[in-house]
Amino acid sequence: MDSDQELIELVNQGDPDAFEALYRRYRDWVFSLAWRFTGNQQDALDVLQETFTYLLGKFPAFALTASMTTFLYPVVKHLSIAVRSKSRRFTSDEEILGELTAPVLEDAQSSRSELAAVLTILPDEQREVLLMRFVDDMTLQEIAIALNIPLGTVKSRLHHALKRLRHDHRTQDYFLE
Amino acid sequence: MTEKKGHFDEDLELRVSPKLSEDLNALFKPQFSVPPELDRAIMDRANQRLVQRHWRHRIFHHISIWRIAAAAAVIIFAFSLNLTQKHGPSTSRTVLVKAQAVDIDRNGRVDILDAFKLARLIESAESTDKSLSPVSSTEQALRKQGWDINGDGLVDRNDVDLVALSAVRLDKNKGVL
Repeated sequence: MDSDQELIELVNQGDPDAFEALYRRYRDWVFSLAWRFTGNQQDALDVLQETFTYLLGKFPAFALTASMTTFLYPVVKHLSIAVRSKSRRFTSDEEILGELTAPVLEDAQSSRSELAAVLTILPDEQREVLLMRFVDDMTLQEIAIALNIPLGTVKSRLHHALKRLRHDHRTQDYFLE
Repeated sequence: MTEKKGHFDEDLELRVSPKLSEDLNALFKPQFSVPPELDRAIMDRANQRLVQRHWRHRIFHHISIWRIAAAAAVIIFAFSLNLTQKHGPSTSRTVLVKAQAVDIDRNGRVDILDAFKLARLIESAESTDKSLSPVSSTEQALRKQGWDINGDGLVDRNDVDLVALSAVRLDKNKGVL
């Protein structure tokens, strides 16, 4: 399987199949991220389309300096904010979180719903870093680049988020003793 | 919120159970997938743009090569023309150089008196031969002296003018041959 860099090089040479491979590789991640930001299916699909249109516009002189997720994350975030303000859905992140959380199965209901409840009380910045780390599986360095903040700030935000989860009786089971 | 840097407890992240990541992913997993129509729309746009840009880029590339080649040809032609003209009789600058070497009265200087002397010689030749045809004997003698300054095959008023011009130039620069 070609690396992102190899695919980008091929797209720079005008290869549509390489672009399709990139699209297939990141489509679901971009879509779920957009859904996380917008809380709305149609908006998330709009963001998905806009994101890849933006990426397409970067060729044929695109040079990837970090990871693809690091490049795409701020694009999806900014487009989501734009789509949300355009569609006049000025919902707060907490409301979005309420819409987002998938219906949980009975046996897993308690832990996940409690986790969702605790997430809503986390400050936005801490929740964002926590999700980037544990949902998007990004490294601390990638998070720092994607958010354009110092690595120390990323560590601090993640530390505070984890600390809050650990000290909350509803989520302390997520930590090993 | 205060963010104290250098406060990150890596142990805290290490103590996080894998279940946290699983539950977060389950919570934020979109409940629907991307419709195939959107995939097609994005890929159609990609095909269209990449192929267009690829050809535009190639055409531009070819045009650039031809432009460079044409510019080089023009420069080479102009340069060779310039070299040829250095040996030709037509420019006043090159003729002036030759005129500077023509000291008609052989007094070691090219001045306005040389122009007068040449004018008188031409006048006397005209009165002798009644014509200044290239075959007249006096004119041939004048040419043998090397006084056909502009190299047009005739020793006439134009040669006088060039000697006069050369004398003026030399006077300005206080030059002595």
